[in-house]
Amino acid sequence: MTLIGLAVTLLGFVVAFGSLGVAESTGARMAMVLAGIVISLIGIMGVLTPAYQKTWIYRNR
Amino acid sequence: MTKKILLLLAVALCLARGTALAQAPEPAAPAAQAQAAPAATTITDADLKAAVKPTDRTNGDPDGSLTGTANDITVSDAKAGLTVADVLNQIGANKIGVNFAWTLLCGFLIMFMQAGFAVVEAGLCRAKNANHTMMMNFMVYGVGMLAYFLIGFPLQMGGAGAVANLGGTPVLNSEFTLHLFGKDIGLFGNTGYLLMHRGTYDVAVMVIFLFQMVFMDTTTTIVTGTLCERWKYAAFMVSTMFLGAFTYPIFANWAWGGGWLAMLGSNFGLGHGYADFAGSGVVHSVGGITALACALIVGPRIGKYTRDGKPNPIPGHDIMWVLCGCFILAFGWFGFNPGSTLAMSGNGGLRAASVAVNTMLAGMTGSFGGILYMWIRYGKPDASMSGNAFLAGLVAITAPSGFVNPVAAAVIGLVAGVLVCVSCEFVERVLKVDDPVGAISVHGTNGIWGVIATGLFADGKSNYGGSWNGVAGNVTGLFYGDSGQLVAQLMGVATLIGFVFTLSFVFNLFVDWFVGQRVSAKSELQGLDLPEMGAVAYPDFVLKPEVEMVV
Repeated sequence: MTLIGLAVTLLGFVVAFGSLGVAESTGARMAMVLAGIVISLIGIMGVLTPAYQKTWIYRNR
Repeated sequence: MTKKILLLLAVALCLARGTALAQAPEPAAPAAQAQAAPAATTITDADLKAAVKPTDRTNGDPDGSLTGTANDITVSDAKAGLTVADVLNQIGANKIGVNFAWTLLCGFLIMFMQAGFAVVEAGLCRAKNANHTMMMNFMVYGVGMLAYFLIGFPLQMGGAGAVANLGGTPVLNSEFTLHLFGKDIGLFGNTGYLLMHRGTYDVAVMVIFLFQMVFMDTTTTIVTGTLCERWKYAAFMVSTMFLGAFTYPIFANWAWGGGWLAMLGSNFGLGHGYADFAGSGVVHSVGGITALACALIVGPRIGKYTRDGKPNPIPGHDIMWVLCGCFILAFGWFGFNPGSTLAMSGNGGLRAASVAVNTMLAGMTGSFGGILYMWIRYGKPDASMSGNAFLAGLVAITAPSGFVNPVAAAVIGLVAGVLVCVSCEFVERVLKVDDPVGAISVHGTNGIWGVIATGLFADGKSNYGGSWNGVAGNVTGLFYGDSGQLVAQLMGVATLIGFVFTLSFVFNLFVDWFVGQRVSAKSELQGLDLPEMGAVAYPDFVLKPEVEMVV
């Protein structure tokens, strides 16, 4: 899950960065950048954090 | 009789003419003014005779009127005497000297923020970990600086190009780029290693190094707050080394060193490119986001959460140090933000006054936002959250401080004060990430808010030499008509969350595998002062046993 979380987080950046080559208008670029931010947040909060919570010390004791 | 009448008429005419001249506006006399223009002026002996001589000061100079005269201008050729070229060179040297003095002094102020961070973090941890927390804050300065000296500075500023306010730095001219989407995408600088490489043994480069180094050190010290009370000291040193050598410099290059984020305006027509005046994103978000990555890996302190995941409060041991440290930080912030003009003379240097006022206003409204939120929600004005809200206002105004008006600064600070409280609750209760000092929310969340606020509130009135990031005109946000600027700012946010987080996480994962990030449970329960540092912070005091903290 760690790798998936990191991949999703990085994917968000790739989507945002890709808007520079894919989109021409400011509106389309803004939409892609916002989508990229949401994807990255899902990667951190939705995938990575729950995966790491399982390994935390208070869960293991 | 006729003669008398004529004489009277003549006198009357003269008087009338004189009155008319006295009432008339001053004639423009362009010809006379053109003759007085300095174009052909040379300095003669007659000019110098009027100058104050050293002998005039035999009785001292109590009012200062005899000190600092033409005698103090350096003469390049004693035979030729004082020339116009000497005077002009002196004017140039004075301008750059003023800017050097301003930037260096502001750098010294920022360096003192290390003390503020140290006491805030130590005050918010328990007494049994105070020595360990202070020692992290002490060595973060040296470890970070070493990494930056060896690797970080060239990566960040090696391709920054000429900094006009500091007399030009033409030797910082090597940026590694990729050709993508039909444009050159700057990725990192490549000159200035050890401050000797390719002519970088240069006074202007030294000023930039000092100023940028203390910025970088601020970033590294943010992480120690979040990780305190359970971070292995060796892991802290390795992790800080990487942050100072790679993570911070790479993002700082993209934003400030001529990298692709700065060029979003000139390459892709997005406003003036990513605009971050003093580092809400570059300094604070990078620190806060790295802190989040490390906190996920290290996990919460023993006793912070019950088995079913409910958070326990773990109060710090000295709230007086915490609030005192907040004032030290606020003092240092007057170096952080106004100093980022890199000038007091020329190219918008005087705008530093506006930047300073924006900074203090946002801190004030931030503390009001936080204290009111806590008072309304919990019935008491919480001291530590008030301090954090104060800092949150300062963090949020750091990026926009050079581009917004005072009313916008107050609004940005107020939002930050509330946002930090909401974010702290979210991080603790929803993400269940243990952040003893609230650094993720203060620096990470509000750093991002500051970056976005620049894209909203920049009023287009600032003028730093007629352009910003190579785009003519002034930085203007969405509320003043430039939606492209907001996109550039959001691109910076996406880079922080998507790229900087991933880079920090992957590296700290390696540190965890090879060094081990977390101390043993036994050391943590005992307190890190003895197991990690070999001495306690308060040897003359008996510390309260913390049985209730063991789950």
